[in-house]
Amino acid sequence: MTYVRSFLNIIALPLILLFIWFIATLGETSFFVPTPQLLVQTFIDTWTAERFLSDVFPSLGRLIIGIILSILIGIVGGLLIGSFRWLRAMLEPTLEFFRAIPPPVLIPVIMLLIGIGDEMKVSVIVLGAVWPILLNTIEGVRSMDEVLADTSRTYGMNKVNTVRYLILPSAMPQIMAGIRQSLSIALILMVISEMFASTEGLGFAIVQFQRSFAIPEMWSGIVLLGLIGVILSFIFQLAERWILGWYHGLREIEQAA
Amino acid sequence: MTSEHKQPTNPVISQSSVQDTPDGRIPVGKTMPGEQPMLSVQNLKKVYHTDGGDIEAVRNLTFDLPKGQLACLVGPSGSGKTTLLKCISGLMAPTSGEVTLHGEKVTGPPKSMAVVFQEYGRSLFPWLRVAENVELPLKNQGMDKASRKDAVEQALEAVGLSHVPKSYPWQLSGGMQQRVAIARAVAYQPEVLLMDEPFAAVDAQTRADLEDLVRGIWKKLGVSVLFVTHDIDESVYLGERVIILSSSPTVIQEDVLVDLPAERDQLETRSSQRFSELRHHVYEQIQLAKKGFRPEDAVAMR
Repeated sequence: MTYVRSFLNIIALPLILLFIWFIATLGETSFFVPTPQLLVQTFIDTWTAERFLSDVFPSLGRLIIGIILSILIGIVGGLLIGSFRWLRAMLEPTLEFFRAIPPPVLIPVIMLLIGIGDEMKVSVIVLGAVWPILLNTIEGVRSMDEVLADTSRTYGMNKVNTVRYLILPSAMPQIMAGIRQSLSIALILMVISEMFASTEGLGFAIVQFQRSFAIPEMWSGIVLLGLIGVILSFIFQLAERWILGWYHGLREIEQAA
Repeated sequence: MTSEHKQPTNPVISQSSVQDTPDGRIPVGKTMPGEQPMLSVQNLKKVYHTDGGDIEAVRNLTFDLPKGQLACLVGPSGSGKTTLLKCISGLMAPTSGEVTLHGEKVTGPPKSMAVVFQEYGRSLFPWLRVAENVELPLKNQGMDKASRKDAVEQALEAVGLSHVPKSYPWQLSGGMQQRVAIARAVAYQPEVLLMDEPFAAVDAQTRADLEDLVRGIWKKLGVSVLFVTHDIDESVYLGERVIILSSSPTVIQEDVLVDLPAERDQLETRSSQRFSELRHHVYEQIQLAKKGFRPEDAVAMR
């Protein structure tokens, strides 16, 4: 019963929006605004297995590699910078500088330096998506509970165990919040990186449709991007529930008290 | 009635030590005759340097803890108890003086020492289950899996928590959480157990149970226990000895031997005449300390 209910909660708003769209485009003749029926038909015709192989999967591959690299670099870098005061003092102003540069403006530079291949596109994703994870990890390490740190010290925990059982889990709620932000940044940058000097990819396909006035096809690509975003966030929520189960339980009890 | 009631009511044992000290000013904590000091605190001083000037938290503390003794440190609030405990446990370096364990200077947390903190909710790992919390220090020491399992089971059994190994600490009541912290310390098999106001945050009934638990574990394991508290009744009920601290900057106000029977009972012991005499005495001393009376003043007046 609760499953049915939560399923209804999830699909209620999309159904309403679809209905409004349907009403609004009744008798619509504009070439630029497709009706829902036309869009569904176009979606099925456009996003065939073949196109998935040629455009969607390469894009998703770069997206996933970019996200994984961002997570690894962000967490490892954040653990180091958060653990050593001198390192933080040395790096923080410089990091602020690089963080302030929007990755898309770096695309021409990266293209000159490492070409127009997958490396360029993954680099652009990482350059944008690494920051929320890095900065949140630093903050998570710094806000370590003092009593817990003292406890670990009195039990003589070695460095590896301290990272594994104390620092990493204690920073994990903030790290996960950072990853959540990074996912949407990574998706945006995946599309943007494919709009320059590309021959395949989801972003490339959408730009191609637009330039050849295949407007319903262009719309269908945008819908596909939205769906990818929803799936990413769903996977993230599953992972978060598994990794941070203790945190949500603790918060619930604290709020009840 | 027992013979102790015929004794003079003044239970002070350390008056002589005031005169015995080298400089004749600072009272020296006693080591029971014929016993090896396990933990020794020598002329410990701690000054915090802040922007607003130096704050002298601990002026000069000297005492020994013999092997197997349960001593309580009691003092008015703000008497530097926590500072002292942090210095003893090697978490903080003293400004001068030293702490030695088995004659070796303490420079970092020693292997044979375990600490139970007041804030149980912040000293247990909330991402680990009860058994995993107890197990972690053993895992860190490289103990093999089978021995670890036995040790964890025994420790949880000893504190009466063998039924909740798979719970998370935050699912338990405050008293049970502190039991988990005690079980973790017990499983670690320390020679010295430091307890920093461990029961200050639990309710009175739980507190009585936990006091008896600590006495029981202490007797069973033969560890030396240094129990810091601000509760006068608790210090007299638990300890074999009560070390009274002065107000800050801290020195030892007095060192009292608790000559209550070894078998203690929440009802019997607490209602005995000797208990109230001792309690009365410790209370008086704490009041004096709060008013700013310092042991060196007594010497100066002489």
